Amino acid sequence: MTHSKQKHILSLTAFILAAGSAQAYDLSLGTNLPPVDLHGFFSQGYLDSSKYNYLGDSSRGSFNYTEAGINASINPFPRTRITVQGFLFEVGNAGKYEPLLDYASIEYTFNDYFGLRAGRIRKPGGLYNTIQDIDLARTSVLLPQGIYDARFRDFSTSLDGGEAFGTLPLSKAGSLGYEVYSGLINIAADSGVADIINNSLTPGKITSFDQFEETGAQLWWNTPLDGLRVGAAFGYAFNFDYNFTEPTGYPPPYNTASLNTKGAIVVQQYSVEYLWKNWTFQAEYYHLQTSQDTFDAGTLANHSFTYENTWYGDASYRFNKWLEVGGYYSELYQGGTALATASQGYQKDAALSFRFDPASWWVFKVEGHCIHGTALLDDNTDNPVRNQNGKPWYMLAVKTTFSF
Amino acid sequence: MKTLLTKVGLLGALLTAGAPPAPALDGGVVIANSGVAADSLTTDGLKDIYTAKTKYWDGGQNIVIAVLPDKTDAALQQASGMEASQFKTFWQRLAFSGRGQEPKSAGDVAGLVSLVASTKGAIAIVPAEAALTGVKKIDIK
Repeated sequence: MTHSKQKHILSLTAFILAAGSAQAYDLSLGTNLPPVDLHGFFSQGYLDSSKYNYLGDSSRGSFNYTEAGINASINPFPRTRITVQGFLFEVGNAGKYEPLLDYASIEYTFNDYFGLRAGRIRKPGGLYNTIQDIDLARTSVLLPQGIYDARFRDFSTSLDGGEAFGTLPLSKAGSLGYEVYSGLINIAADSGVADIINNSLTPGKITSFDQFEETGAQLWWNTPLDGLRVGAAFGYAFNFDYNFTEPTGYPPPYNTASLNTKGAIVVQQYSVEYLWKNWTFQAEYYHLQTSQDTFDAGTLANHSFTYENTWYGDASYRFNKWLEVGGYYSELYQGGTALATASQGYQKDAALSFRFDPASWWVFKVEGHCIHGTALLDDNTDNPVRNQNGKPWYMLAVKTTFSF
Repeated sequence: MKTLLTKVGLLGALLTAGAPPAPALDGGVVIANSGVAADSLTTDGLKDIYTAKTKYWDGGQNIVIAVLPDKTDAALQQASGMEASQFKTFWQRLAFSGRGQEPKSAGDVAGLVSLVASTKGAIAIVPAEAALTGVKKIDIK
């Protein structure tokens, strides 16, 4: 970490901790303007794994797991809301503590049934995509990584565009919430997504990503049974194009120093959540398929089709104000023409989490993972042997979050 | 197969039959800032507010929920269908994704009433015996 990045983080942390003593903060702009509602958070995690390096150099113990953000919102006019959030993160090699504009949008709500939101928005997707890096809003330290991969947030979380949203009453059948979005996504050439691809190209390297488009929708059926909701999400990303230099020793037909890949990604996600007394039950299924054409000097040189299937089930129980315990089991399978059976192609994760809330502004978590398979280790070149022959490996995750 | 179809049918009937009407708020009354035009809400309307389906009053003023942690949890559960910790998490998810305004907290009953009195568009559940000054009571039907 560079000195300037350390200064960024320390300044942000000091601000959040100072503000945290006052909890939520209203910034008054003047007598005729409504106050600005300010919130913020700072999370620091520690990952320690028994064998492999996962989400950083975890086999030696890694503190490279940080998230921090500050957001502000204001309702300057009737039915109008403006909101903005700055964010920085580091998980493994992704994020690099670079401050970024997480979202900045204006929305107008015509009525309960219909509203519009435009700008940089958080992309809806299942139970957690809009808040996958908000540690205080869940029981576990790590979400099921087959769906909510912490390294891919620059691909999965925000887009520049807009969405329509609302809730439609269904009489005795409950209500239907919807968000329909479309926009543009930019990925940096040193992002977590790039790390994954670069490792398959070594020593070739991605030189740039093109801006690509994504359109999708999230539907939630809020059933008449209190606490039960069922969701479905669809996303279609196209013009997912990038340029890369030729990997040494790559097999023919590649023969030029600069190559280009054009791709499309289709995502489906199905979710169910049930809140019953102090219990929270959740389950999701996620299917991602990628189609890519690689061009060599403008000529189609290769076509590839890959997909991933992930599911998980989760239950948590709130014992009292300061203790919540939860656990989940998830399975991820990667495949081309068939799902993987070798351990590099799947990852099965059983997690047990303890969440402590010593104060309304402070959360502390401890979590254990028992993992079979190594499919998600593909961004770390420090894992030379990923075939673990069915033996489990383990990871300890500790995280604390301060918020206001 | 017939058994499975019967079970699916029963589940469907359960889900579409509708939940029974919510009882009156347990030991709580609903208050709002005196500038709010509404004098009453249905239980469904109150739940729509506490579950973020309704974010604005008629006329366009944004709704600001104010809460009193620990003191009115039972009434809050009846209004929202969520336990207090679930309610807090629900609104944190909205606030940190740019989709809603997190409820404001007060430390005691007098502070909550004062917060509602001074915040445009505010609504809160207070203990039934609370002294109401500078706010209006909202009837729940």
